Amino acid sequence: MTADFATMLSAVFPEIGLVVLMVVVLGLDLLWRDERVRRLGWITAAGCLFLVVLSLVFALPPAEPLLIWGGMLRLDAAGFVFRIVFLLGAALTALFSLGQDDLQKHGEYYGLMLVSTLGMSLMASAADLIMLYLAIELTSIPLYVLAGFRFRDDKSVEAGIKYLLFGAMTSAVMLYGLSLLYGFSGTTQIAELAEQIDRHSVPVSLLVISLVLVLVGFGFKVSAVPFHFWAPDVYEGAPTPVAGYLSTASKAAGFAVLMRVILTGFWAVTPIWMDLIAGLAIVSMTVGNLLALTQTNIKRLLAYSSIAQAGYILVGVAAGTSFGMSGAVYYLMAYLLTNLVAFGVVSVVGQRVGSDDLSAYAGLSRRAPAVALILLISMLSLGGIPPFAGFVGKVLVFAAAVEAGRWWLALIGVINSIVALYYYLIVLKSAYLLRSEDEQKPLQLMAGWRVALLVCVTGVLVLGVVIAPWFEWAGKAGWALSIY
Amino acid sequence: MTPVMVVFGLLGVVVILTALGMLLSRNAIYSALFLVLNFATVAVLYIILGAPFISLVQITVYAGSIMVMFLFVIMLLGAERLPGSDRLRRQRWIAAILGLVFVAQVILFIFFRGQLTAPVGTPPATLGSPQAVGTTLFTTYALPFEVTGAILVVATVGAILLTRGAALPYSPIRKEEK
Amino acid sequence: MMMPLAYYVGLSAIMFVLGIIGVLVRRNALVVFMSLELMFNAANLLFVAFSAYFQLLTGQIFVFFVMTVAAAEVAVGLALMVEIFRTKHSIDLDQMSEMKG
Repeated sequence: MTADFATMLSAVFPEIGLVVLMVVVLGLDLLWRDERVRRLGWITAAGCLFLVVLSLVFALPPAEPLLIWGGMLRLDAAGFVFRIVFLLGAALTALFSLGQDDLQKHGEYYGLMLVSTLGMSLMASAADLIMLYLAIELTSIPLYVLAGFRFRDDKSVEAGIKYLLFGAMTSAVMLYGLSLLYGFSGTTQIAELAEQIDRHSVPVSLLVISLVLVLVGFGFKVSAVPFHFWAPDVYEGAPTPVAGYLSTASKAAGFAVLMRVILTGFWAVTPIWMDLIAGLAIVSMTVGNLLALTQTNIKRLLAYSSIAQAGYILVGVAAGTSFGMSGAVYYLMAYLLTNLVAFGVVSVVGQRVGSDDLSAYAGLSRRAPAVALILLISMLSLGGIPPFAGFVGKVLVFAAAVEAGRWWLALIGVINSIVALYYYLIVLKSAYLLRSEDEQKPLQLMAGWRVALLVCVTGVLVLGVVIAPWFEWAGKAGWALSIY
Repeated sequence: MTPVMVVFGLLGVVVILTALGMLLSRNAIYSALFLVLNFATVAVLYIILGAPFISLVQITVYAGSIMVMFLFVIMLLGAERLPGSDRLRRQRWIAAILGLVFVAQVILFIFFRGQLTAPVGTPPATLGSPQAVGTTLFTTYALPFEVTGAILVVATVGAILLTRGAALPYSPIRKEEK
Repeated sequence: MMMPLAYYVGLSAIMFVLGIIGVLVRRNALVVFMSLELMFNAANLLFVAFSAYFQLLTGQIFVFFVMTVAAAEVAVGLALMVEIFRTKHSIDLDQMSEMKG
């Protein structure tokens, strides 16, 4: 299974493109000393979309998974699908960041975002523990800086420090788990782990220890309970587009590595990790939803909501089947668009009204009917109401759980979805029923925001109505994850 | 008791004591210095384990540059005298993990004592030599090596941005706005 | 030159737990950060020990990369701390109560 150099180069072609794009953005930032800097957001978004097109044309995955670059990367459908998800996420985030002067006037903002996207893309296709660890750090380090990007805002810098300390702590724990895993198997190749562990007849209890340690790291990335403490604070303090990016692309990357490592590497203890993941799913859904009920700041509310959403996705992973993984991938695609549009609306309102409180949304339906409608769609999609994308995602993961004989997990998920509807409707109540004094003042939307909102909403509708083609991709990705 | 065991015992005691010293020092500078000693001792263990290259990197990168950076920041901020460990922080959730890990470690140690008494010999000198490490880095691990380049660039950009950002408020457009 | 692997595992376990305790009990963000470095070193020691045990180079390569990453992380972390110190004149984690966890 060796590939020639041309294949290897074309496989990482989008990644190389991201590096080039970063250099271009940083270079233009240096050259443009005036208003033109504002165009960098458009350039970043256009560049990411261009890379999406390029990878659709040139970097299609082979029918059979292929190990490249000395076994560092695995060229398969999963890496391909996730890469497109990340690139789309980065493009939309870049558009939502327009108009925020403290962000868009620094070209480095976009540069860091692109490097982080590069890290995520490598995370999703890493086939070696060394590559995996480096990719995770390549994703995290720029995100630490981005979370603290509003230098003069204490909250933002604190968000950066908290994110960094929690991130470094969990990554140290994960690294210890990885070192044990290396000790049990004598290999860093994820695909060889199971076989070597079998050969060395490693006791189950030892393997479970390293499983738990590794899960700490991944749990942090996907912000599952009990590794969620950073999320509300960081989302609240970080610039809103960054929070949106953290809650979607970064979470999707976490799920990509979680599924890859756990399915392949911990094959020997499959029943145990299934139970562990099911447990994580239950506490994440329940705790996330219950804490979200009492929030009055929309960013904190969305943070807890995203913790609960991680729980639903974990339901699909806990099924442990190829179908479960496909459901999780579909859910992640739907969730990326839905949550990005939710944070997009928060960003728009935060910019124009100057507050992230729920009360700032009073009278939104009269001030900006279109924005309120978009908020409605995103909240209903997050709540799992047809015909939006979130509904399909939920149906798939719950069906996978039932199919795998874990009907109770699906039941808890359904109950939780109903509870969650309550706080999503509270947001909508603010926007639609409450009146405010300045409801005559319409909200001005920048062109970039319009484009991004429109793209997201279209995506949410398309993923909710036309299911087959997207599910085909999710299915391929799920299949690629569950064979090795 | 072989001589290696005596050396290991001594080094192990130093490692644990310096770690404790870092933990308990009220003065952040002492903490940093204890940690330097800790890293240097671990570097000696690396030599015993037949990893001379890693050992030297440990001394230059860890004990050298990283800890110097720490000391520099401590002195820059004048933050050496700060509240010690008089009370626990409220992040109790870490306590849960700690308990879990601690129990896990004990189990681990017992199992390894029972099952893997296999000794660690000194590998052939060629295994961890700079040449072998370099060859492997630039062949099998060429892609990760490139990735570390990206990590270092991004860290540099980030660190400069963070420390310069506040001093020079907005970079380019600032002038026109005034 | 024989040493049972168990002793290396034990030593690294102790380092790791001491690191976690440091992260838990200290309030000075810089010392918390140093404790994190201790945890990374525990993992590194384990990697090198296993590398010698299996007579494989991969463990040492992993350590090399971990050190690079640690350097980058420290640079960003210290920059953030300098930044917060400018406005708050403190790096006490308990005083970061702008937000409630």
